[in-house]
Amino acid sequence: MLPSPFAFERPSTIADAVSAVGESGDGMFYSGGTELLLAMKLRVIHTDRLIDIKGIPGLDRIVLNDANDIEIGARCTHNKIASDPVIREHVLALSSLCANVANVRVRSVGTIGGNLCFGEPHADPPTMLAALDARLVLNGPGGTRVVHADDFIRSELETVREPDELLTVIVFPRPTGPVTYRRFKHGERPSVNVAMAWSLAAGGRTIRSARVRVGALGSRPQPLKAIEDVIQGISVSEVRPAIEAVLPTALGELEVNEDRHGGADYKRHLAGVLLLRNAEEAIAAAGNA
Amino acid sequence: MSATDNMSSVRPDLIEKVTGRAEYVTDLTIPGMLHGFVVRSPAIHARIVTIDTSAARSMDGVLDVLIGEDVASFGCWGVVLKDRPILATDRVRYVGEPVAVVIAETIEIAQNAAELVDVEYDELPRATTIHEAIAEDAPLIHERHENLEDFYFKGGARPTQNSNIFHTYRNNVGDVDAAEAAAAYIHEDRFTFPAISHFAMEPHAVIADFQGDSLTVWAGAQTPTAVQKVLSRLYGLQLAKIRVIVPFVGGGFGGKASVKIEPLVAAASWKVQRPVRIAQSMAESMLTCRRLGADITIRTAVDAKGRILAKSAKLLLDGGAYSDTGSAVATKSANRIMGPYVVPNLRLEACAVYTNTVPGAAFRSIGGPQAVWAKESHMDNVAAAIGMDPAEFRLLNLVSRGERIRPDLRPLDMDMSDLMGRVTRSFASEVQASNRQARGLAVAATDPANTPISNAIIRLKIDGSILVSVSSIEVGQGAHATMGRIAAQTLKQPTSAVTVLRTDTAVAPYDWGTGASRSTVVVGLSVESAALDAADQILEMVADVWELPRENLSLVEGGVSTGSEVLTFHQIFHRALGVDSGEVIGRGAITPRSKKGALVESPLFWETSAGLAEIVVDEDTGEIHVPRYASAADVGRVINRIAAEGQDEGAAIMGLGHALYEVLEFEDGQPINATPIDYSIPRISDVPPVLDTILVENGDGPGPGGAKGMGEGAILPVAPAIANALFSTYGIRITDLPMTPEKVWRALQKRN
Ligand SMILES: Cc1cc2nc3c(=O)[nH]c(=O)nc-3n(C[C@H](O)[C@H](O)[C@H](O)COP(=O)(O)OP(=O)(O)OC[C@H]3O[C@@H](n4cnc5c(N)ncnc54)[C@H](O)[C@@H]3O)c2cc1C
Repeated sequence: MLPSPFAFERPSTIADAVSAVGESGDGMFYSGGTELLLAMKLRVIHTDRLIDIKGIPGLDRIVLNDANDIEIGARCTHNKIASDPVIREHVLALSSLCANVANVRVRSVGTIGGNLCFGEPHADPPTMLAALDARLVLNGPGGTRVVHADDFIRSELETVREPDELLTVIVFPRPTGPVTYRRFKHGERPSVNVAMAWSLAAGGRTIRSARVRVGALGSRPQPLKAIEDVIQGISVSEVRPAIEAVLPTALGELEVNEDRHGGADYKRHLAGVLLLRNAEEAIAAAGNA
Repeated sequence: MSATDNMSSVRPDLIEKVTGRAEYVTDLTIPGMLHGFVVRSPAIHARIVTIDTSAARSMDGVLDVLIGEDVASFGCWGVVLKDRPILATDRVRYVGEPVAVVIAETIEIAQNAAELVDVEYDELPRATTIHEAIAEDAPLIHERHENLEDFYFKGGARPTQNSNIFHTYRNNVGDVDAAEAAAAYIHEDRFTFPAISHFAMEPHAVIADFQGDSLTVWAGAQTPTAVQKVLSRLYGLQLAKIRVIVPFVGGGFGGKASVKIEPLVAAASWKVQRPVRIAQSMAESMLTCRRLGADITIRTAVDAKGRILAKSAKLLLDGGAYSDTGSAVATKSANRIMGPYVVPNLRLEACAVYTNTVPGAAFRSIGGPQAVWAKESHMDNVAAAIGMDPAEFRLLNLVSRGERIRPDLRPLDMDMSDLMGRVTRSFASEVQASNRQARGLAVAATDPANTPISNAIIRLKIDGSILVSVSSIEVGQGAHATMGRIAAQTLKQPTSAVTVLRTDTAVAPYDWGTGASRSTVVVGLSVESAALDAADQILEMVADVWELPRENLSLVEGGVSTGSEVLTFHQIFHRALGVDSGEVIGRGAITPRSKKGALVESPLFWETSAGLAEIVVDEDTGEIHVPRYASAADVGRVINRIAAEGQDEGAAIMGLGHALYEVLEFEDGQPINATPIDYSIPRISDVPPVLDTILVENGDGPGPGGAKGMGEGAILPVAPAIANALFSTYGIRITDLPMTPEKVWRALQKRN
């Protein structure tokens, strides 16, 4: 099928892009188009105007800034993140996440910003970015605001972004401990995924704090508070029994949709499997550090 | 040799395809061509109350909107049962059924206008599964059944009036009851098999140009002569006035066999008297046809030594809303559930039933994957129940070469124990066996309906170039390259001298069609015989003009050797005809009476395969990995090794899709994953890293040089082989496909 007719603009500044979308929100930002064009062809999204953001310079930068934060431009493709030296050095798990998203065509044109803004629940980056405590920078007609990754996706296919706000950059603190990520998928998209980021105390044998997020089960990534709490402050060697002790309760608290990806009990179980596998990897990584 | 020459020597179409020059239906433009877009039923089973096309018609660029009423007077069509209207008229029987066609200047306009066609439906009671359809009080999906005997296949359907059963096939040998009474052990199992999409990369696309009493159709059709025949009957046109042109086809797998959307597109063109193109999306093609799902009960009785005494099977096939070739699929499923074992007493019953879902259709080895899934899983269950090794149990019961699987079928023409040995040795040759030996085996012997009817024309030109004209379709399998090779080899000319024409029924002689693993054998024989006829004529010419004894003459590259010299084709034609031009036309015809009646008995050859799978299961997630798979088939003789291996590898991976990923799901009749986004097929990363394809050649097939047909066998053993590995090592028996991680995990939970 073909999309219904639309106008096309290619602004070269953020401000022009924002104003081109228009207050009425009848225009839409167009990045890699891998979600958008598909939805337009299926006629589930209708828009009069596409605002191509590929002409705006600077939106595809990846840097470690002076504040020791990593900045990823919203226009970075999955491929770019996968092969970027800064990401590979500091968050290898994000690099391999992006190297395995979707298929080769989607990875070469699909962007991290497009992935986040689409708000698809069966996605990989949102889980990881929430575990990394990322902040998303939105530029709108009234200026700039910052939203935490945890708060960005509101519900299935819906984010807190206003139609005329452009996501420009994703910022997160350089990780100081092991970051691990696992997904389970049978088919195109992840059925469940788990990201875990530890920050280690000096000496590297004790966990100062941990962030654990489970994705794809509900409409957005969910924290596993009970797990975060139980491993905070304990020695790396005690992690596994500590997690196992609270795991059933922690998993029980997750909101889980029954869908084509499987029954709720199965997916909950998978989340536990992935979490424990992440923990094993993190324990090994901490041991090698 | 350059890379491109190298590719061309394998298959001349490869370069055309990788450079994008190869033409498919959607690459063609016919002067004056309009575009049609199909409005489809969102209802599962409903009466059409009204269709309002006025808004669509008033849109700029819309020429007309075709509805059922316009063409109701042409009546229904079918290839076995005459059950199908050109366009739904009073009633729709499945979600996706065509209800109207908007015909417009552009595809965009047609599609936009289609959203304005307003159809009011009044829901009818429905039967969306086999069991709903055969229930006592099931609503009838078709009120009457009209059989077309010998129309497409030999024979026809045996419908049960006033029921949804549109075909029943029975075959009984010996006395099953008596044998069971004497048996040491009886074991019964039930298996189910889902609907599966053909998922060809090229969806159905057809251009039709109706002009007065003649009709030209460009279609990606596997059986152009069947399309021609159905259109002729339906529209009352002479066969000679209907031309079906088939350019390259982007995959068929049976989904483009018999007749699909051609009558509909022809109707659209008839309505506007201009050429009309309908190019479906993949999602639309997923609503056009699919493999028949099945519910199979199978029972085996054995004696104390493990010899099979009797076997009975009841197969119920879900034929969807229109029968197409579902009756033949049912019959074949019964034939394919028997062997290759010695079964002295047999009781087979297969029924095809209508349901309110996408119509079932032929699909690579019709009825085969359903039957073999059940019978080979069952074999391991029986072996386990009597405490025998499954391979030994099979070896003990195999039919040997020359023995009959059933009295009415040709004796087995190969050694199944040899195939089993080959896949086993393939694994043994690997140095590093994985520590957990989870292996499963399955074998199959199927009887392709290869219909020995074909014609070929070969024209040998004065410059030594050769034109081959057949109705075989190049659907990606390499049939045309094979025909070219057979012509070249028979005429002793280089393959580069041969051109095989794309099929055009106005030029190509009659052939039954491309399917049932028949082309290399049946069409191949007709090409060989046409080549011999052409050779005969040119040799005769030399004998006559040069006054030489025929027996001294032979074809050589570029001409004819007289023994003492070589006369070029130029010299021959020039001297014989007096001018420097000309050609000879060789004709080859294969009928059931050819080869002194050797082609009469069915099947022409047995299509056989053995598969051995090694699997590793992640017991925490239920995910199955297949690190190794070996597939063996007896193909008689390999004509083009790369193409032949490609066929069997492709079939095995398609089988892997059936085994682990694929199911076209319906929820109360509503398709829920009929889009390429939601439907999963295996990817290259899912292909077993070690995939061994073994082709056994004994030169004993009925085709050219002893070839047998191939390309459908290797799909069969994959699913049961994997399931048998799961059973033997992990202690779980999965009885319905696909074996998804969740299903496996649940079975593992239950086992624990
Ligand atoms: C076949 C397939 C498989 C996939 N599999 C996976 C998978 O396994 N895991 C996974 O995580 N994802 C998967 N995806 C999703 C993929 O990651 C996204 O399609 C891609 O990243 C979207 O980026 P894009 O640039 O193409 O977005 P677009 O399609 O251009 O845009 C998507 C949406 O975001 C908006 N938008 C885009 N950029 C911005 C911006 N900077 N600011 C504001 N709004 C913006 C657009 O208006 C639109 O609404 C898959 C997609 C496909 C098609």
